[in-house]
Amino acid sequence: MDVGVLIVAMLLIPLIGAIVIWFLPENFGLVSTIHALLAVVELVLTLNVVSFVIDGSIYFTLHKYLILDPIAGVFLTLIAIVGFLVNMYAINYMKWDIQKNELNLKEVKLYYGLMHLFIFTMMLSVVSNNIAIMWAAVEATTLSSVFMVAIYKNKRAVESGWKYIIICSVGLAFALYGTVLMYGAGYNAIGDSENPMFWSNLMASANLLNPDALKVVFIFVLIGFGTKAGLAPMHTWLPDVHSEGPSPTSAILSAVLLKCAIAAILRYYSIIGHSSVGFGYVETLFLVVGLLSIFIAALFIIRQRDIKRMFAYHSVEHVGIIAVGFGVGGPLGVFAALFHTMAHSLSKALAFCASGNIIKIYGTRDMEKMGGLVKINPLVTTLFAVAIFSLIGIPLLAVFVSEFLIIKAGIFTSEYLQIVLFIIGLAIIFIAVLAHFNEVAFGNVRGEVKTKKVETSANLPLIILAILIFTFGVYKIDSWYLLLSNAVKIILG
Amino acid sequence: MVTLDLVSILSLLMIVTSLAVFGWRNIKQAAYIYVIQTMLLITIFAVLAQKYNAQELMSWAIIGFFLKVILVPYILIKLIRKLNVIIEEEPVEGFFVSPIIAIAFSLATAMMLYPILKEFSLLKEDIPLIASITVFMIGIFGLILRKNIIKQIMAFCLFENGSHLTLALMAYKSPEIVDVGILTDAIFAVIIMSILAMRYYKYFGSLDVTKASNLKG
Repeated sequence: MDVGVLIVAMLLIPLIGAIVIWFLPENFGLVSTIHALLAVVELVLTLNVVSFVIDGSIYFTLHKYLILDPIAGVFLTLIAIVGFLVNMYAINYMKWDIQKNELNLKEVKLYYGLMHLFIFTMMLSVVSNNIAIMWAAVEATTLSSVFMVAIYKNKRAVESGWKYIIICSVGLAFALYGTVLMYGAGYNAIGDSENPMFWSNLMASANLLNPDALKVVFIFVLIGFGTKAGLAPMHTWLPDVHSEGPSPTSAILSAVLLKCAIAAILRYYSIIGHSSVGFGYVETLFLVVGLLSIFIAALFIIRQRDIKRMFAYHSVEHVGIIAVGFGVGGPLGVFAALFHTMAHSLSKALAFCASGNIIKIYGTRDMEKMGGLVKINPLVTTLFAVAIFSLIGIPLLAVFVSEFLIIKAGIFTSEYLQIVLFIIGLAIIFIAVLAHFNEVAFGNVRGEVKTKKVETSANLPLIILAILIFTFGVYKIDSWYLLLSNAVKIILG
Repeated sequence: MVTLDLVSILSLLMIVTSLAVFGWRNIKQAAYIYVIQTMLLITIFAVLAQKYNAQELMSWAIIGFFLKVILVPYILIKLIRKLNVIIEEEPVEGFFVSPIIAIAFSLATAMMLYPILKEFSLLKEDIPLIASITVFMIGIFGLILRKNIIKQIMAFCLFENGSHLTLALMAYKSPEIVDVGILTDAIFAVIIMSILAMRYYKYFGSLDVTKASNLKG
C-alpha cells in the first residue's frame, strides 16, 4: 500500500476510534474491548509506517503537510509501543477505579476516548511538516489530556487540571511567537514560491535564514515547547499534573508526551544548526537548561514522600538528560539523546504503572506508609525494582546505555566540566532514589496493607515493559540503531 | 514618522480595551469590553485586507467574527451567569497598582521586541505590531496578577487576541488551515477552562485561584 495512505490511516484510526468510543453504550466489557482493539491496530499500523523509514527514506503526503522521516519514526515508535502497553494496563486500572467507585462508566468511556484522541494529537505533532500545524498539534495534546488528568472529582484534580492548561498554554504562546518569527525569517529568505512554513523547505534553505532572527526564534521555542517538555525552570506544572491523574495518564504523559515536545524543539535545533548560527548556540542553551533540570529535580527527589511525585521529578531529570545529550551534540551525543527518549519512556511507563499497582496494595501514595513490599508481592517489587534501577542508570538496563553514551560523547567533545556536573547530578539522584526504594521494598510494613494480590493481567504489560528495558539495555537491536543513526544524519546533516 | 491612520487608532483602542478588561472589577462588564476588543481586532483584519488587497485577511475576519465575537463571549457570559459571581477578588498588588505594573511592563516588552518582529513582518505596521505584543503581554500579566478564575480565562483570551494580531501582520499569507487550527485550539481551551472553572467553584466555593494550594513540593 502507498505510504502516504498508511500515514493518513495511522492518524485517522485513533481519531475515528475516539469518536466511536464516545457513541458506545455504557458497557465496560464492550468499551474496553473496542479500546484494546484500537490499541492493537494503532501499534501494528504505526510500527508498519515506521518500518518504511528505518533505511533513512523520507516521505511526504497531503501536499507536503505531513512528513515521515527517521526523526518522526523515532518518536512514532515511542508512541506506538509505550502507548499500546499503557493502554492495555489502563483497562485493569479503570476496573479498579470503578470498583472503588472513583469513576463511573461514563467517565471511563470518556477516558478511553480521550486517550485515543490524545494519541492522534501526539502523532500529528511529530509528523507535521508545517511548523504552525505542529504547534497547533502540540497545543491540542494539552487540550485532549486535561480531562485525563482532572478526571477524578476532587479538589486536587481540579487544581492540577487548571495548572496544566494555564501554564502549558502560556508557555506554548511563546512558542507560537517563535513559529511566526521563523516563518517571517523564512519568507524573507526564500519568498513564497517554496512555502516557508514547511520544515523541509526551511531545512533546505537554512543557510539563507537571518541568523539574528534564528537566535531569537530558538529562545522562544525553547521556552515554549520547553514548558511542555518539563525543562526547568518551566517545569512547575509537571509534578502536580503527573502525580494527580490516574497512573496510566501519568505514564503516558511522562513517557510519551514530553518527548513529543522534545521532537518539536528538535526540528528547530536542526534548522538552526544548519544555518550560519551553527550548532554551538543551540547546544549551549540545551546544556544550560538540561543541567539546571537535573539539579532542580535532584533537590526535590531527596525530600519527596509521594511515590508519584518522586517519579514526576524523575521526568524533569530525564528530559534534562535528553537536553544534555543534545547539548553535548555531535553524532554520538544526538544519538544518545534519541536513544534516551526510548529508554526513559519504557522505564518511566513501567515506573508509573508499577506505582499504580503499589498504590492498590497500600491504598496510599505516601512512601513512608509503605514498606516490606518484597514480602507482600515479590513480582510487583521486581517490576518496581527494574523501573527504579533503570531510571538511575544501573548497567544492563536501557537508561545506562544512553547515559554512558552521553558521558562518552562529552569526553570526545572535551566538555569536561559539564560532564562532571552531569555525573554529580545523577549521583545525587542515584543515592536518594535507592534510599526511597529501600524504604518501600524492605523493612517493616508501616501502614495498612489493603490487598496483597494484583491481577496477572495488570502485571502483564509491565512484564513486557521490563523485558523491553532489558532488551534495549543488553542487545544492539539493529533496526532501532539504524533508525536512530539515520535520524542523526538528518539532524546533523 | 509614524502616522496615525485608521489601523493605528484601532490598535491603540485594542490596548485601551485590554487594559480595561484587565482592570475592570465587574466581571460581566469586563466580558462585554472583551467583546468590543474582539470587534476591534476583526475590524483591523478587514481594514488591512482592504489596504493591502489581502483576501486572506478578509476570510480571517469572517472566521474570527463567528468564533471570537460570537462564540467565545457566549461561553464566557454563560459561565458568568451560571456561577453568578460578579465582583472580582482583590488581585495581587491591589486593584490600582496591578494595571500599572501590567501596562508598564507590557509596553516595555513590546517596544523591545517589535523592531525584531517588524523586520520579518509581511505587513510593516508599527503601531499594530506594538499593540499586538502589548495586548499579548497584558494577557500574560492577567494570568500572573489576577486571582479570579474567570478573569484568568479572559486574560487567556487577551493573549490569544494579541498573538492573533501578530500572526495576521507577520504571516497572513500562511494557509487558511493554520488560522483555523490555531483558532480551534483557542476555542476548545476556553471551553475546557470554563468546565474547570465550574468544577473549581463547586469544590472550593470560590473563584479565587489562590485558595487551591494542595499541590506543593
